[in-house]
Amino acid sequence: MSDSDRLSHDVQRYLDGEQVEHLDAGERAQADSLLAAIETYASRLEGPGSELDGAVMQAVRVKPVPTAHGSWWQWLLQPRVVSVRPALAAAAAVALLVVGAVGVSLRQRAGTVEPTAQAEIVLVRFELRAPEAEQVTLAGSFNDWSPEGIELVRSPDTGLWTGTLPLSPGEYEYLFVIDGISWIPDPSAHAQVDDGFGAANSVIVVGPRGVVRS
Amino acid sequence: MTCITPIHLDPATDHFTLLATRVLMMAALPFGSQGGLLIEGAKQSDGKLVRRILAGETDLYRILVERYRREFGRYAAAMLHGDSDDAADALQEAFIRAYDGLASCKDPDRFKAWLFRIVSNQCHNVRKRRRDHLSLDRVEDPAHNPADQDLERKEIGAAVGDALDKLSAEQREAFVMKHVDGRSYAEMAELMGVGEDALKMRVHRAREELKKHLKGLL
Repeated sequence: MSDSDRLSHDVQRYLDGEQVEHLDAGERAQADSLLAAIETYASRLEGPGSELDGAVMQAVRVKPVPTAHGSWWQWLLQPRVVSVRPALAAAAAVALLVVGAVGVSLRQRAGTVEPTAQAEIVLVRFELRAPEAEQVTLAGSFNDWSPEGIELVRSPDTGLWTGTLPLSPGEYEYLFVIDGISWIPDPSAHAQVDDGFGAANSVIVVGPRGVVRS
Repeated sequence: MTCITPIHLDPATDHFTLLATRVLMMAALPFGSQGGLLIEGAKQSDGKLVRRILAGETDLYRILVERYRREFGRYAAAMLHGDSDDAADALQEAFIRAYDGLASCKDPDRFKAWLFRIVSNQCHNVRKRRRDHLSLDRVEDPAHNPADQDLERKEIGAAVGDALDKLSAEQREAFVMKHVDGRSYAEMAELMGVGEDALKMRVHRAREELKKHLKGLL
């Protein structure tokens, strides 16, 4: 950018709406013409009309009252700590083998990806250390950025939140949602991309053999 | 029991009464039988409304939709090449997703910032879906309206729209919030979760880029 494209500090303040007492007449004219061009553009922008309200309410009316439980598949995907009495351990092991045979691996290891018996689905473990958080969910292109997200489970000792997700090979963008308000990228992801709107999304690449770049 | 007395109006003489009745009926239509509830709820804060919706008064969601359709509508249009249809798609999807996830909004008093992030992400999704299409057959900028007789204004509006597309994503968003929505830096910081100084820097740089692209027109 050449010096002639720069705007002086006073012009920027003036454009910010601040009181600037001694602005050069030429600079003031320059700033006013820029503002006028912006206003011309802005005045022609139209947001959606009131018909949108009806369309949204029509879609919403057939839905149940929103609850914190989420959908049944999200409930199924949540990792849980299970205590098993020794007497039941053998039966549990058999049950796990049966589940494994149909293509779902329940073994989880931090930061890894587990290819399942069906090569199209890979179990990906997500984790975030957030000891102060009361809730952490995962939202991304794999669930169309649903704000209710996929709930992660907190380890009481370490403050580490984890969750495992079955994903098809491909590239996904995602964010963690802290306490339902703050959307943050994964600090341990190897790639962050511009989300197109001024913030960053984390990227994970899942390969057909479970190879992953995150 | 409610007794309804029919009123007979003569169209030849009661023009004003008929017109007023029609206006009132049209105004009441969108609210249906919940009209009173919505009028009373319209004065309430986001937090109160969210809590009431979660408690089962789901018709109140219309108030939040209307409130933020007005507030975020032009933002969505500006972020989507000025295309109001794309903006409507993004907002509609955002409102439905926000409803589905409403219980996960842990601080209902900060519903606006929570919703903004969903709107921003949905705009991102729509922009991605349209990206290939846009490169081949660019959506017409509102300033490209062929019915517009003011050629100079049309040219300037189109040039600003094109210049905005060339900005980095973060500059564009900050610029739109400042100059299209007319927000203060404090409000932008609250919505976007970014510091005021950083936002000022983005807006200042965006203006300089804009000035560069608009050379010859200003």
